[in-house]
Amino acid sequence: MADPKPFAVDIGRLKSRAKDTSTQALEKTDRAGEEHGFVARSPEKRRGRKPSPRTGQVHAKVMPNVSDEIADEARRRGITQGVIIEEAWRLYKENIR
Amino acid sequence: MPTIVIASPKGGAGKSTTAIILGTELAHAGAEVVLLDCDPNGSLSLWASRSALPDRTSVLEGIGESEIVRTIKQHDRDGRIVIVDLEGVASRLVSRAISQADLVVTPMRATTLDATIGVRALALIAEEEEALDRKIRHLVVFTMTKAIKSKQHRGIAESLAGQGVDLVNPPLMERAAFSALFEFGGDLRAMPPQGNMDAAIENAREFAQAIYQRLTGE
Repeated sequence: MADPKPFAVDIGRLKSRAKDTSTQALEKTDRAGEEHGFVARSPEKRRGRKPSPRTGQVHAKVMPNVSDEIADEARRRGITQGVIIEEAWRLYKENIR
Repeated sequence: MPTIVIASPKGGAGKSTTAIILGTELAHAGAEVVLLDCDPNGSLSLWASRSALPDRTSVLEGIGESEIVRTIKQHDRDGRIVIVDLEGVASRLVSRAISQADLVVTPMRATTLDATIGVRALALIAEEEEALDRKIRHLVVFTMTKAIKSKQHRGIAESLAGQGVDLVNPPLMERAAFSALFEFGGDLRAMPPQGNMDAAIENAREFAQAIYQRLTGE
């Protein structure tokens, strides 16, 4: 479709002005914004590891070789020892009870 | 190259449509345009995903308040126009983007609600001009206007003009082709005919030309 009255941009005429991007300028901008209700609305990112949902605890003493094997397996798979116990309990419920 | 920020705290005012029309028309006229999608709704990204981007345009998405100043600075260089499409809320992201603008365009529908909320952007610009000790050129464009202006439209236009607000002429009319940009992507010249295409293209071109004249001080 041909434009009856095209216009062309002359790149050389489009001038940008230097803007202050310093921390002080940013603080002034934020203060000016807050006075008019333009406040931070981005969700805050939580730092660090999320709290584990595993809050239950078992109090078990086992033979040293068993505790060593559980620790080795957890380390190998990159999981906690609690996950191994949960899996063992699931198997127990499925196969023995 | 200039940074144009499309800002209004009112949602549904036509910010993304304005950004796309302006960006694609300036690109059609020979400018290289970088569109920054700073709206969590991702309207520009949706448009960009519909088809190949027009020549000389690119879109960057997912820019938040902690990245906006750095991103504008990175792309505000010779040979480019940066257009920033913002979310329709009063946020720190908006005030930070305005601080880096050469021109702020506030789209608003010619309704009392849009005008009342849109004027908050103008008040913020005035505050930032004082805080940063520099003039930030700004203007208002009416969007989704009808061929016959309502009494309300005329009243709002007179009120804004009376306060010294720069009103862009022509306004962006309510056009099937404008809303179809989000269905087909690309620009007005590439999409299948939607209503009166010649009138839509003429409206878009004249609007972009009016903005270009503001940028060049013609």
